[in-house]
Amino acid sequence: MSLTPSLKILVPAVLSVALATSGCSDSAFDSSFVYSTSTTSLMREAQDGTKELPGVKKLVDERFGDPQNLKAWLKLPVDFGGTTATVVEYATADGQLAQGTAAPAPYNDSDDARSLATEGASAIIRVTVEEGQMLPESATSIVFVSGTGAGKSAAITAWNSGTGEAMLTSVPDHVPTAGDAVTLDGGSNLKSGRMLYMRHCSHCHGTSGDGNGPTAQYLNPKPRDYRHGVFKFTSTNDMSKVSRKDLTRILKYGIPGTYMPSFLLMKDEEVYAIIEYVRFLSMRGEYERKLDSELAGDFSQKVVDGRIKAKESRTAIAQEVTEFLAVDLKEAASTLGDDLAEQWTGADSEEALIVPSIARIPDSPESRRRGRELFLSKALNCADCHGADGAGNGPQTIAFEKNPLTGELYNEPGLHDVWDNANQPRNLHYGIYRGGRRPIDLFCRIHAGIKGSRMPSFKNTPHEDIWNVVNYVLSIPFETEPGATGVPAPAAAPAAVTVPQEN
Amino acid sequence: MKKFWALFFFFWPAVAIWLCWIAPSRGWWFPSESKSTLGHQIDGLFYLILIIVTVTFVATQFALGYAMWKGAVKTADSSAVFSHGSHKLEIMWTIVPSFVLVFISLTQLDVLAEIRVISQFPEEARKEPIAEVMARQFEWRIRYPKPGTVLMTEPQPGDLYFVNELHVPTFRPVQINLRTQDVQHAFFSPQLRVKQDAVPGLVIPVWFEVEEAGTYDLVCAELCGWGHYKMKARIIAESEESVEKYITQLNAEQNEDGVPDAPPEAAAE
Repeated sequence: MSLTPSLKILVPAVLSVALATSGCSDSAFDSSFVYSTSTTSLMREAQDGTKELPGVKKLVDERFGDPQNLKAWLKLPVDFGGTTATVVEYATADGQLAQGTAAPAPYNDSDDARSLATEGASAIIRVTVEEGQMLPESATSIVFVSGTGAGKSAAITAWNSGTGEAMLTSVPDHVPTAGDAVTLDGGSNLKSGRMLYMRHCSHCHGTSGDGNGPTAQYLNPKPRDYRHGVFKFTSTNDMSKVSRKDLTRILKYGIPGTYMPSFLLMKDEEVYAIIEYVRFLSMRGEYERKLDSELAGDFSQKVVDGRIKAKESRTAIAQEVTEFLAVDLKEAASTLGDDLAEQWTGADSEEALIVPSIARIPDSPESRRRGRELFLSKALNCADCHGADGAGNGPQTIAFEKNPLTGELYNEPGLHDVWDNANQPRNLHYGIYRGGRRPIDLFCRIHAGIKGSRMPSFKNTPHEDIWNVVNYVLSIPFETEPGATGVPAPAAAPAAVTVPQEN
Repeated sequence: MKKFWALFFFFWPAVAIWLCWIAPSRGWWFPSESKSTLGHQIDGLFYLILIIVTVTFVATQFALGYAMWKGAVKTADSSAVFSHGSHKLEIMWTIVPSFVLVFISLTQLDVLAEIRVISQFPEEARKEPIAEVMARQFEWRIRYPKPGTVLMTEPQPGDLYFVNELHVPTFRPVQINLRTQDVQHAFFSPQLRVKQDAVPGLVIPVWFEVEEAGTYDLVCAELCGWGHYKMKARIIAESEESVEKYITQLNAEQNEDGVPDAPPEAAAE
């Protein structure tokens, strides 16, 4: 008896702990996307827009949302998840058929429908999917894709997966008509992708995919910043983006030589969801940067300061940017989306895939010798960066490079990638191949180059030659002495050293 | 109330006896039944120590309960006894545990030697290590020798690489060479009862014999950095033929040149 009161106290205590901990799974903490520095370096009107015209920030937010409230811009080739269905019937709670509903017959006689209706449903909608497809097991939300309510959504309180009937919490303020397209649980894939991404990826790659998570500062090389839409190791040709297959490979097998670990034990659907979310973040970042580059020429804060110094009036510039936002940026906002959609769709097409025209030339001393000749040749000029012995110490590694954007010299010598990180050419003696060690991987690295880095594409080199170089490169870690493939060492340094300019 | 506390201390050893009695049959002590030969011996040692510890615990707790009970039933008029201790008793409780500890250390020597001393490794495992397991922050990189060759300490042309998945044949002792690329890690497979630290600069041979085909966990058991928890991998134990098939397939995958296979008639020419 005496135990009862203490149990009563104990039970709520345990429950509250359980609730507090269960919160970790879904909406662990509020997070937000950060804007790229190319956005924050614009003049205020360009960032935030003027009275009725949206600026870059709003244009991006409208299309991509924030982590707690992601938006699906259906134009983009991202599998947001959910089931596409078509409205068959619609009725409000009192059983009255709403206007415009196609079927005048009584709503439904089945017990299920009645039980739904008597539980205080405010509206019931029945949907169907195309033949051959399945209604989902569960559904919690419905989004109207076409018809008068396009873009609106409603929450589902009860779902009958057998009949396709959904009870809505509130009466939508439009009347769905038969034939309207809807999406059930729209964005489910993106949402689970976000959850997994936050758990496994964000501490390095950052919430926004800017490669600047809390762990990033300790890492070298830096985690990828997705916002350029550029990924280094792809099986697609030099002008194409990364394919889903490439990203899957990276996620499953990791990148040796970097901190990117393998996620081999992750379930396939989880990998898929993460990849879609990474593509989403990439597109968001790329879209933002492209909008910025439309504005940067005339309206970055730096340019504006210069213009004011040159006696232009701030009001006139503000007027100018307003006009730009109204016409040019508005147009760009739409066409840039189309471009993105086309490029990212193209990356998964067969045309984008690199397929060697001939099979790998069997590895032989002869082939390696030919490969080494090409490696040292003026035409390919591999040694300029990778060094005559392939030790990653070519003359370019001690030259000072100009930042292509600012035109200024970098502080440290050596090559830099588009993310402005020092990115020295690979020492080929290590036998670590970040993009994979299969012959086809090396072939792609040479054929398409390493995107974002200074490794250029050699797509015009005959495939036979590329295979010879591949054979040579694969043999470098096992050479008894540099160039031991039977080729005499070069007489002179292969290329002139670029000397830093004094100014 | 005094009696309650005496009974309270009698109660716990009784619970301990009951728990120790039923625990093995419920599988409470271990993640699973041991799936490796060495595991049975290790479990045997564990149970031996468990018995010793349980007996000691129960005995001391009953002694404690007894002493308390004696105090509880004393009447108010009995006088207290002051004592400076008993040398005999102290000698006893020093010598008896020492014997117990010496006994344990001698008993486990054979098993320890089997696990750790290379000359005691089964000949079959020692002469042909099946793979090198290279731990690194935060994954396991596996290197198999090129089919038809022996595993060398340094990578060789044609070696096969994979990550986070180790295939081993069942029903024969196998050896892997454990290394680390960066910091200390530990190769730990709970179901196989294998646990060995990977130490920078060393190649540490580890052997085991899996007794049942299946997929076993491989995790890191040495806090190795912020991503320690990510070091999950699996050991797939299967028949010798399946491993061979896997290696053949891995070899084909690793030599992939991206050119679609020629149609059969062209290949026949």
